[in-house]
Amino acid sequence: MRSQESSRTTLSPSRRLSAWLLVLIPAAAAVPLIPYATEVSHFAVSMFMQTVTYAIAVLGMVVVLGYAGQINLAQAAFFGFGAYGVALGTVSYGLPFWVSFAMGIGVAAIAGGILGLTTLRLGGHYLAMITISFQQIFDLVAVNWIALTHGPDGIAGIPRPSLFSYELSDDRAYLLLCTLVLYGLIALVWWLPQTRLGRAMRGVRENELAAEVIGVHTLRVKVTAFILCATLGGIGGGLYAGGFAYISPDNFNFTRAVEFLSMVLLGGAQSPFGAVLGTTLLILLPEWLKEMPPSLQFIKDVYLAIYGLAVILIMVFMPEGLWGLLRNGWKKLRSPVPVDTTSIPKLELDIPVTDATPLLKLEGMQKFFGGLRAVDGIDLEVGRGTVHALIGPNGSGKTTMLNVVNGIYKPTGGRIIIDGQDVSQKAPHERAGHGLGRTFQNIRLFPAMSALENVIVGAQRDNNPIEPGRPALRMRAMSALQFVGLADKADAIVRSLPYGHQRLVEIARALAGHPKLLLLDEPAAGLNQTEKMELVELLRRLRSGHGLTIFLIDHDMGLVEKISDRITVLNFGKKIAEGAPQEVLRHPEVIAAYLGEEPANGVA
Amino acid sequence: MEALANNFQVLFQGLALGSIYALVALGFVLIIRATNVVNFAQGDFAMLGAYMMVACLVGAGLPYWLSFLLALIGMGVFGILFNYGVYFPLRHRGFLPVLISTLGASIFLQNTVLAIFGAQPKRLDNVIQGGVQIGSVFLDSQYLVILAVTMLMVAFQYFFFEHTLVGKKLQATSQDKDMARLLGIPVALMIAVTFIYSAVLGGLAGVLVGPVLFVSIGMGSIIALKAFAATIIGGFGDVKGAIVGGIFIGVVESFAAYYISVPYKDAYAFMMLFLVLVFRPQGFFGEKVSEKA
Amino acid sequence: MALLELRNVASYYGNVQALRGVSLRVEQGEVVTLLGANGAGKSTALRTISGLLRPASGEIWFEGRPIHDMAAEKIVRLGISHVPEGRRIFPGLTVRENIMLGTSNRGRLPKKQMDEEVARMFEVFPVIKPFGNALGWTLSGGQQQMLAVARGLMARPKLLLLDEPSLGLAPLIVQQLFATIREIHARGTTILLVEQNAHMALSVANRGYVLETGEMRIEGSPKELLGNDEVRAAYLGGHAAATPR
Repeated sequence: MRSQESSRTTLSPSRRLSAWLLVLIPAAAAVPLIPYATEVSHFAVSMFMQTVTYAIAVLGMVVVLGYAGQINLAQAAFFGFGAYGVALGTVSYGLPFWVSFAMGIGVAAIAGGILGLTTLRLGGHYLAMITISFQQIFDLVAVNWIALTHGPDGIAGIPRPSLFSYELSDDRAYLLLCTLVLYGLIALVWWLPQTRLGRAMRGVRENELAAEVIGVHTLRVKVTAFILCATLGGIGGGLYAGGFAYISPDNFNFTRAVEFLSMVLLGGAQSPFGAVLGTTLLILLPEWLKEMPPSLQFIKDVYLAIYGLAVILIMVFMPEGLWGLLRNGWKKLRSPVPVDTTSIPKLELDIPVTDATPLLKLEGMQKFFGGLRAVDGIDLEVGRGTVHALIGPNGSGKTTMLNVVNGIYKPTGGRIIIDGQDVSQKAPHERAGHGLGRTFQNIRLFPAMSALENVIVGAQRDNNPIEPGRPALRMRAMSALQFVGLADKADAIVRSLPYGHQRLVEIARALAGHPKLLLLDEPAAGLNQTEKMELVELLRRLRSGHGLTIFLIDHDMGLVEKISDRITVLNFGKKIAEGAPQEVLRHPEVIAAYLGEEPANGVA
Repeated sequence: MEALANNFQVLFQGLALGSIYALVALGFVLIIRATNVVNFAQGDFAMLGAYMMVACLVGAGLPYWLSFLLALIGMGVFGILFNYGVYFPLRHRGFLPVLISTLGASIFLQNTVLAIFGAQPKRLDNVIQGGVQIGSVFLDSQYLVILAVTMLMVAFQYFFFEHTLVGKKLQATSQDKDMARLLGIPVALMIAVTFIYSAVLGGLAGVLVGPVLFVSIGMGSIIALKAFAATIIGGFGDVKGAIVGGIFIGVVESFAAYYISVPYKDAYAFMMLFLVLVFRPQGFFGEKVSEKA
Repeated sequence: MALLELRNVASYYGNVQALRGVSLRVEQGEVVTLLGANGAGKSTALRTISGLLRPASGEIWFEGRPIHDMAAEKIVRLGISHVPEGRRIFPGLTVRENIMLGTSNRGRLPKKQMDEEVARMFEVFPVIKPFGNALGWTLSGGQQQMLAVARGLMARPKLLLLDEPSLGLAPLIVQQLFATIREIHARGTTILLVEQNAHMALSVANRGYVLETGEMRIEGSPKELLGNDEVRAAYLGGHAAATPR
């Protein structure tokens, strides 16, 4: 029932374009034309110019912070690259405006890429510190390398460009150009989440490990997000330099970077509209304060302090920003459109069983953590098209083994061969590209994305044998949801689904990637009896003649017994038994491992 | 001979400045360990401490030691406020919201102080006037005081953490919060104590460095960035690493400023930081950045 | 009046309902064991009693007062000591320090009394005595388990909650451990023991309960439970249960 109120953010864009956008677009189109229509002060035009160019940089923050979930505290530096590119190119070296503009953006993008590559693999805290440091170095260089940057005096006399031989020296014309660029970029950033890259970014933000395991090259996605962010910063900065004809280092210092951050947080980091809203408000606010009665003039002096306080308050009370509030309110007013489930094709899962070699082969696999031998020399073969279960008491090394098989851990020793290929040294996303699918013991979905989006990310793995293009991805995902019986919940935000359904969405996400080998880590954990029966039924459908190989862990022996062809039993990281279910579960050593040894001295 | 003396002079200054970075880095690491939060307002603790000293000493005309005491007490109280205002409401929300919240706190602090004291940097006098002359080397008394106090604080911290039960409880809290609760250790209180101690430590650094650097709104940011660099260079979250990293940065920076170029003095720390990140991301003392499922 | 009583307790672990209306009693001086397969909700039951989790509904009473709304730090001060699954030794503290922190629920102790109590604990657990100044993480699994129990006992609990103490330990060590558990009981501590090792657990228990997917299935004496097919089924599935051993 809770899924009723969930969002319908992604389905057909045409539906999202309806209603309110029809009002907003003409309004937005009219805004840059105002200076043409009426007399507007020079001051107002320059405020407008500032808003537009800042907003472009803040759009970059939407991409990196809102979509990809990475912090960037150096956006002012990237903004500065764009601005200095234009300023130095035109004033110092006499290059044409657009050439200088492109160079500035190029430098910003390259700097973003290098910064991203060195730090993004280290994660959050490092990233925050490194970007701040980078910002500081930029500031130091801009102030001190006087020969290049003209130092604290800045650079004046930056010319305006011309476009198709039309000189944009007029403020109004240049402003119109900037605004059009902004609109174009808003559209781009707005469209991004529905692309392959955008979904991957959100996946990384929501659950990086899961994204990697289902085939997203997470480092590349994060670096790309960073480069995009830097590029947008560069574009904003380049236009800013042209707009104001003068720049100096204090336009690009750490305070400005924090301002960009505050703007995106206030407006709402998840949406380009939020970014524009936040930027506009924070630029206008100080001006409004100036209009206040004298008794309130003290506010002007502590304006920045209030600003800092506001950042804390936004984090505590309004984590999705103003746009988030508006959108949630809007969502409540709309009734959801039912999903059409009639024309979904059946899920294609067939894997041709070509030969008799095992699909998964482990040779002497070891994983040690310090002195702990979690997996201690396991040899194992999983036959094509079979269901193979791995059981053993708690702490016997089962999950560790699964983590080594799909690359979350690097093995201490031994080899992992999937479909004849040694994948021991490959990253998890590369293994996903080989046809390795997986679910987790404690479900790892992308909670803020819809069920369909979750499954599409699974479908978009490399080498997935489906037709290229968006419709095929979507179809594949819908088929997978249909297969687990959740097609009607496609639009539900995963967080709002009941636990049992989340399990199924996770399985659908793995199936959408058309795996050869599916790893299931305790699929029955946390399910009630009815749900377990449904799961058994689902697993039976999965194994019936598709050629899909399943390797699973579970503690529910009833379930394991019902669906497995073979069982391997682990204890203390070693294999203690292997064979058909009935034999293995009667094996005295297995019973002892589960029920415990008889006490040596009888019942006390 | 003179070259040697100069080098010694530079080393001495580097050690003293590095001690300041180390003190701030220490508070910084303690908070990371207790809460897993990177506190971007840590440098502003130093700034605030210095201004409290200015207010008591210059503003109210109180005697030096009383001002000193009041500034540290003030910082302790501030630590409590910071804990409940900035960290506590967000403690269950992951690292990014808290990080941004501490950034907000940093902006708030700097501008509040700006509104009260104005933009003009303030001067604090040395604790003891003069210094020690050894041959052609002059050891400024304030630098000596900084070195002595840092050593004292490191010793105190070592004693406190290693030889008192409260110290052990703090360590237990940072190692496993749920287990600490199961034993009856008041975890929220332990975290509050950590914030108080870190604030006092930061304030102390500010009071000490005030006579050397001028007391200004921006003094905290630049110290904090060096301290951040120190923690990464030393090994993220490692107490020993914070001290060694801080002193290392201070010394390298002093020599680089002397031999290479003064304007870029503040950039050397960051360059070292980049080098460490590329070649030894776990820092001097850190464990290898661990693999985790 | 039972020492501990759970009345119809429901509890969630994350968004999974891990306990569905569980009731149980522990009388003064008993050893009660809670059995069940992995994921049956045993650990969740202990976590709910000790206050790490708050029950969604139902009541928990200890010595005649409700404790289901109390924080973990408070509950341990009432005399419930929880030795959780996975030992949770503080890795960066020494063995002695780990033991000393076990007294955190009792207010400040004079140094002499502390030393005496630590010494007494080393007598009960001679295995860890030689490692008093070693850091926690350097101990083997069995030593860590002994240390965890020792730390739990320093709270002077009226009720000791033991979660899977035999987990990952070799059979010989498990025997040692259970000998110690018997001794602790003989000295007068009431114990609620969660175990997957049903044979060992029932060998020390006065009574046992069997949990299955968060519901209480069976209650009985060790004899009754050992012979019960349902108990075997809970661990090994229907097939093994039907086969005589």
